[in-house]
Amino acid sequence: MATPGNTSLVDLFAARATEAAAKVERIGRSDSDVRAAVVRATDGLSSLVVADGDFLPPSVFTALRTIPQVIPKPTDDQLASADAGITEAFAGVARSGSICVAMGPPLRSAASLLMPLHVALLPAERIVLRPRELFDASGIGAAAMQRNIIIITGPSATADMGPLVRGVHGPHRLHILLLE
Amino acid sequence: MAAPPVPAEAYDAPRTVANKRDKSALLRAIRMALGIESAAVRRNTQNFNRNRYREAAALPDYEALKDEARAIKEHAIGDLPDLLMTLETAIRSRGGNFYLASTAADACRYILGVCQSHGAKLVVKGKSITSEEIRLNHTLEGAGIEVAESDLAEFILQVADEQPSHNVAPAMHYSTERISALFKRKFSTSEPLETGEELTKFARGRLRQKFLNADVGFTGANLIAADTGTIMLVESEGNIRMSSLLPPVHISLAGVEKVIPAQSQMGVFLELLPLSFNGKLTSYTSFLRPPLEDPPFALAGRPRKKREFHLVLIDNGRMKMRQDPVLQESLYCIRCSACMNCCANFQTVGGHAFGGETYCGGIGGAWEAGTGTLENARFSDLCTGCSRCVNNCPVRIDIPWLNEVLRDRLNRSSAGSPLASLLGIVSFVRGDDRRASAQKVFFANYHWYAKWGTRTRGLSNRLIRHSTARRWMQSLVGVDVRREVPPFPARPLVRAARELPPLARVGKRAKVVLFPDVYTNYGLPQRGVAAIKVLRALGVDIVVSDALPEGRAALSQGMIATAKKHARHTADALLPYLDEGRDIIVIEPSALAMFRRDYRHLLADAARFELLRTRTFDPVEYIARLSAKSGRPARDLFDVARSPVGTRLFVHSHCQQKTLGCAEPTEALLREIGFDVATSSVECCGMAGSFGYKKEYYEMSMAVGDDLFAQVRAAEAPEAGGARALVASGTSCTEQLHAGLARPVLHPIELLASILKV
Repeated sequence: MATPGNTSLVDLFAARATEAAAKVERIGRSDSDVRAAVVRATDGLSSLVVADGDFLPPSVFTALRTIPQVIPKPTDDQLASADAGITEAFAGVARSGSICVAMGPPLRSAASLLMPLHVALLPAERIVLRPRELFDASGIGAAAMQRNIIIITGPSATADMGPLVRGVHGPHRLHILLLE
Repeated sequence: MAAPPVPAEAYDAPRTVANKRDKSALLRAIRMALGIESAAVRRNTQNFNRNRYREAAALPDYEALKDEARAIKEHAIGDLPDLLMTLETAIRSRGGNFYLASTAADACRYILGVCQSHGAKLVVKGKSITSEEIRLNHTLEGAGIEVAESDLAEFILQVADEQPSHNVAPAMHYSTERISALFKRKFSTSEPLETGEELTKFARGRLRQKFLNADVGFTGANLIAADTGTIMLVESEGNIRMSSLLPPVHISLAGVEKVIPAQSQMGVFLELLPLSFNGKLTSYTSFLRPPLEDPPFALAGRPRKKREFHLVLIDNGRMKMRQDPVLQESLYCIRCSACMNCCANFQTVGGHAFGGETYCGGIGGAWEAGTGTLENARFSDLCTGCSRCVNNCPVRIDIPWLNEVLRDRLNRSSAGSPLASLLGIVSFVRGDDRRASAQKVFFANYHWYAKWGTRTRGLSNRLIRHSTARRWMQSLVGVDVRREVPPFPARPLVRAARELPPLARVGKRAKVVLFPDVYTNYGLPQRGVAAIKVLRALGVDIVVSDALPEGRAALSQGMIATAKKHARHTADALLPYLDEGRDIIVIEPSALAMFRRDYRHLLADAARFELLRTRTFDPVEYIARLSAKSGRPARDLFDVARSPVGTRLFVHSHCQQKTLGCAEPTEALLREIGFDVATSSVECCGMAGSFGYKKEYYEMSMAVGDDLFAQVRAAEAPEAGGARALVASGTSCTEQLHAGLARPVLHPIELLASILKV
C-alpha cells in the first residue's frame, strides 16, 4: 500500500497509466486545486456530469458543481449526450496503471462510461502495487469490493478493425487527476 | 510473371467448413484460410504472443500465479455441484434469478422466455463465445427479436455471417481492407469506410443507438464467484459495461466451469487472464453483483423499469466432461487464447481451419468433443504435439495430451482399412490401433520402416528417389511427393558407435548412456557419433543402448496403446543403466521430450517416470552442465577459431527443446564459446515430425515454415552482417530448413565436435 512518502509507487502508477494512454496530472488536493484542474481538463467542453464520491471530502464535489458547465441533475438523455464525466476512483494500481471506480452513488457508472472524456480523481495514497491486492481482505479495496466495481486501464480501445483505435463505446479519453 | 490472385469467391465460406466431421471440410478450410485469412491471423496472433511473452517475463511470480490458478480451478471443478448450490443461493439472495440449463436448447428456451416476458424487441449483446455454442442469435432472431452484437469483432462476424476464429478476438482473421470491403457491400452509407478509425466510428455510431434503446442486455461471464455471486467481465471496448448497465434486464450466460469458490480468488485471474491474452489488463474489468443498484437507463419517452438479472449457466456436456478422466482437464480453461497465439499452426491458419463451429485452437478439440460429438474434434489433427502451449497455459493444461487422446478415440471409432491392418500387423501395432488410417499406422511405426530401409538401403534409397515409387507412397500412405525423404545411412548409429576408437582416457566424473533414437539412429547417425566424440573427449564414460522406438511416433498418431508399449520397453531397457549411475543422453528433442514429459501419461509407474524425467538430457545441455559443474569454462574446451563454418550462426531451437528449457543452455553455450548467434523466435518450424510429410498438410507446413525462412534471411541480410551457418537440433527442423533454404544444417553437437580443444 502506498504511504504518503511512497513516491516510487506513485511514479510507477503515473508511468504505466500514461503507457495505457491515460493522461496523468499531479495536482494539489484543496477544493480549489481540484476545481481548477477539472476546469483545465474540460476546457472547451459544454456539458459536464459530476458523480458524488465516497472517500474525498464532500466539499470537493460541492466545489466542482460550481463549474458553470456542470449539469446539476442530468436526465438520461443529457447523460447520453454530455461531453465529460467526473468521478472519484477508490484505488489505483501501479503495475497496470489502472484506476478503480466503485458503482453505487448515482451517476458514477454512467459518468465513467457514457461520455467521450472521463476525468477521474485519485488520491495518491490509494495506490496499490499490483491488481490482486485489490482483493486483500484488509486492503484499500476491502470496502469497495463489497460493491460493483470497475477497473479501468486507459480509454476504451479496440483492435478489431485492424490497427489499435482508442475510443470505442466507452470514453475516448481518460484524464487522471492524481491528488497529492 | 506472378499468378493472378485467386478471387475470394473461389474459396469456401467459413460457415460451410465450420463443421469438420468430414475431413474434406478440414482440407477446404485450410485452403480457404491460407488463401484469405492467413496474413491477418499471423499478424494478430503473433502480436498477442509477443506481448504475452514480454509481460510474463517481467512478472517475477508468473509460475507461482499459474500454480495458484491451477489449484483454484482443480478445486472448483472438483466441488462443482456444491459450488453451484452455493452460487444459486448467493444470486437469489440478492434478488437475481438463477437458471441451470442442461442443454443448448434448454438455455435458448429460457433466455427467449425472459426476453418475451418483457416484450423485448432489441437485445444488445456483449461478446459471448458460449452464446455461439448454443446458437442463441438464431433462436432470438427466429422469434423476431433483433440481436445487436456490440463487440466490434462480433459485429463483423454478424454482418459477415461467420463463426469466431479465435476465442478472445473472434474476427482477428479480418484485415482492415477486408472489413472495409465487407461494410461497403453490406451497408449503404455516405460515411467513409476505409481506415480502422473510420470503420470503428461507423460501427460505434450504429451501436450507440442500440445500447440506449435496448430492452435486454446480454453478456457472458469470464468467472463467477460462488460465495458472493460476483461476475467478472473482461473487455476493452466498453460494450459489455453498456450491455450490463443500461438496459433494465441483464442476462449473463456462462458454462458451469466458470464458477470458482470465492470472490477473493478473482485477483489471481485478474492478473493472469489478461496477461495470458495480450500481456496487459484490458481497458475494463468489471466485477458485478447484479442486479445493480443504479436505476436502468431510460431515454425520454421510454418507461423506467425495475432492474432484473438472470444468470444462466449451461451444462451442455460439461458435467460429462467432468467425469472424463482426460477431458476433465479442459474444464480448467479460462479462455485466455494463449494456446492459440503460441501455436505455429494456429498462427498460420487461425480458428476457421484449426477449429470447429464454436471452439478453436489446441484446446478447441476437447471443447468441441465435450459440447458436441467426438467427430466434431477432427480438426484437432492440426495439433502436432509440439508442446509450445504447455508452458504458456495459465492453468497448466496438457493440451497436446488432450489432442493425442482425442486422436486415439477417433482412430478407434473409425472403421479401419485392409491396408492399415496389414501395415499394422507387419509392424507389430497393437490391435485396436490398427483401425487408424493407413497413413497414421505408417507414421506411427516409422522405426520399423527405417530399420528395414537401412538394412536394404541399396534398394530403399533408390525407391525414395524414384518418382513412381513415391507416387505409390503418396497414394497409399500419404507421404507427399514434394518432400524429400532423407536417405537411409550406411551404418545406423548403434553400428557406427561400435566402430569408433575406444575411450582414450577414463574419466571419473560422469557416466552416460546414449539412447539411439529412431531419427538419429536411422536418419542422422553422424549426430550421435559427434556426441560420443565430444563426450569422450570431455572424459565422460559413454555407452550406447539398444535402439528402440521410444513411442513418439505412435503417440503423435494417437496410438496410445502402442506408445505405451514402446514406452514400457524403452524404460525396461534404460533403467538398468540408471542403476549403474549413468545419465541418459537423447539427441532428437522430440524423443527427449518423451522421457521428460510424455512418459508421465504412458508409464504406469510414476517413480520410473520421475527417474527418467530427471536423468535424461539433451547432449549440449549436458555439456553445459558438465562445464558448469567442473568449473572449466566452455572456451577452454572448444576453440571457435577451428569452426569449419565460421563464427556466425543461425540457431533454430526445436519446439520441444524450448518447452523443456534446453534451448537457452544450447544458445548460451555457443555464445560463451565465442559464436555470434542469431536465433529464431518462431514457435515451430512447421515440419513437426510427420505433419509436414503428410500430403494433405504439405502446403500448410511450408506456409508455417515461411516465418522461419524469413527470419534466416533477415539475419543474413547484408546490413545484418551476411551469411550464417544454419544450426538446428531437431531432425524435422533440419529437413524443413533444408527444404526451405536448400542449405546444409548442422546439429550443435556436430559443430562442437569439430572445434574440440581437448
